[in-house]
Amino acid sequence: MAAHWSEQRERGSALLLRLMRAIALAAGRRVAGLLLWPITLYYYVAAGSGRVALAHFYQALGRRPTGRVLFHHYLTFAHTILDRVYLLARRADAPPLRVQGFEAIQKWLDRGQGCVLLGAHLGSFEAARAAGLRHEGLKMQIIMEERVSRKLNRVLEVLDPDARNTAVGLGGPSALLHVRDTIAAGGLIGIMGDRIAPAERSYTAEFLGRSCLFPLAPLRLAASLRAPVFFFTALYRHSIDGAPCYEVVFHPLAVAAPEGPARRQWLQDLGARYVGCLQRYCRMAPDNWFNFYDFWSTHTLGSLHARAAHESARRGSDRAVDCADFVKRRRA
Amino acid sequence: MADQTEFERELAVLLVTSLNLSLDPQAIVPDVPLFREGLGLDSIDMLEIALAVSKQYGVELRADDPDNQTIFSSLRALAAVIAARRAHS
Repeated sequence: MAAHWSEQRERGSALLLRLMRAIALAAGRRVAGLLLWPITLYYYVAAGSGRVALAHFYQALGRRPTGRVLFHHYLTFAHTILDRVYLLARRADAPPLRVQGFEAIQKWLDRGQGCVLLGAHLGSFEAARAAGLRHEGLKMQIIMEERVSRKLNRVLEVLDPDARNTAVGLGGPSALLHVRDTIAAGGLIGIMGDRIAPAERSYTAEFLGRSCLFPLAPLRLAASLRAPVFFFTALYRHSIDGAPCYEVVFHPLAVAAPEGPARRQWLQDLGARYVGCLQRYCRMAPDNWFNFYDFWSTHTLGSLHARAAHESARRGSDRAVDCADFVKRRRA
Repeated sequence: MADQTEFERELAVLLVTSLNLSLDPQAIVPDVPLFREGLGLDSIDMLEIALAVSKQYGVELRADDPDNQTIFSSLRALAAVIAARRAHS
């Protein structure tokens, strides 16, 4: 079994990351960008199962996963990480952001209505956040899985201490009440809707031609917040002259959730639209897909079931959760 | 039948309707944990409960309340907090 995303170890030492940060700031984007080639080559070679998983992704798109394509993919990922330095430090050498579709959100914000942004591990959330920060006084929080990229985030936080306040984890009952307050104050909440944890409740959708499970929690959270929902992504692209830029896209998915039994249909429609959008932008910029694990084989009931059992056995707890049962048990 | 007080029964009905649970409100044992291994609710359900409670009773459950962990621990704890705060306002 290839490592589930939550079990993958974060590579690279904090010292090296700090060194890279210093070089990035001192030498500028162009020179640091050259250093990305040998670094990417190292990660590319060391990746192993991640590379195989990526090849599956390209096959699902109907593209041949040549070594060149896969290496370029890793290089794109490296660029988005390097750019976080410039975006957080608000440096002029950060690639320009081309924002599309924010007007629809602005209309809600002008009325004091907060919105939910549903994203994925596609493109750079940092560039999307930077696009939000352009709007003075706009409150924006991105909900993050705290366990991943902890080292990297700590090294980058230094550049913009406020960034820490815009990324919240979901531990404990208070966290979501904070999220509710952000929406009530007319702010934006960003959630990732693609990665699924073992034993998590899910819905099924067709993703790039294959049936796939997606987590229900982000959709339920959007429903509970009673706010309009938008898809968002910030794709690392190149403009016609070859200069890199971020295409930041906001796309309406749903109006605020209704009360009562109509909620179920609302959730179903939202899930279908979200996955449809995800698919569309995956096709548009496949090299921005940053889920380096086998998406389809991980996102099946059997696999998640096995993982849940494995995890509870490892923890020595008797709380083995029956995943299939978990999905069916409520609101069936 | 679980040993619920009158207010706990009322609150149990509110939980079941607002969360759309396929469960008899009277079957909720007042001191069994609402979350995870107890009733199997999660933090998003909690958010929905907070909303229903504020609508129904005008009691605002705040993000910076240090007692949040206890407040949401069981039907009994939740009922006690709502009753106390209603009396104060």
